[in-house]
Amino acid sequence: MSPEERTARNAGELPEQSLILEVVIGFLYPFMLLLGFHVILNGHYTPGGGFQGGGVLATLFIARYVVFPVNDTGSEQLHLNQRFFLALILLAPTGLLFTGFVNRNPEFQSLYLTLMDILIGLQVGFGLGVAVLRFAFFQGVGKVWRL
Amino acid sequence: MSRFLSAILVLGVLAAVLGITTAHQEILEPQLYLYITENFKADTGAHNAVAAILLNYRMYDTMFEALILLTAIIGMKQFLPSQEELADATEDGKKR
Repeated sequence: MSPEERTARNAGELPEQSLILEVVIGFLYPFMLLLGFHVILNGHYTPGGGFQGGGVLATLFIARYVVFPVNDTGSEQLHLNQRFFLALILLAPTGLLFTGFVNRNPEFQSLYLTLMDILIGLQVGFGLGVAVLRFAFFQGVGKVWRL
Repeated sequence: MSRFLSAILVLGVLAAVLGITTAHQEILEPQLYLYITENFKADTGAHNAVAAILLNYRMYDTMFEALILLTAIIGMKQFLPSQEELADATEDGKKR
């Protein structure tokens, strides 16, 4: 947490947060990142893969929300990233797999699997992050609105 | 009357589908299963048959599975209110 944020919290603009929660989640944050990318990158060796690793990466957004519940991440930007990686997921197999390139060159097979796992993992991570943040900062409880 | 006809139509289609599928029972031999478990490593380079199927044999399935998440998020963004819509939301639904 940056000094400005701590000042904002001490000034009463943010609700009081447990110090234990802050320290423990701050300690676990890099390990969650590491576990997510470990699951993604070993997708073709061990059980796991893109979707599972993406789910682990999405817990980063939840952890940040638990410690610092401020809506400054910008779910529009996350959704843009998700759509970008989804376009790559649709393009990469079209260019590499369906043309027969990967099956003709066995030395690129592992590279292709890793690439697809990374793309799927990032797409799922951003997508679940958008969903979680959008619901977490939902402020319409008890209200009626017009779409 | 139209509801009765709709019910007849639905039941008729159901009976037809069930009749066709029970009349033509296909006994599948485990050829594909045996082929994949024996050859996935040479075919795809994966050490994990699930990854081989998801990312090579059945890539179309994975591509359109990824689209499902996008559809879910689009639906969620559509039906949850934006900040502007919440600005004139009221407690009882009547317009101010």
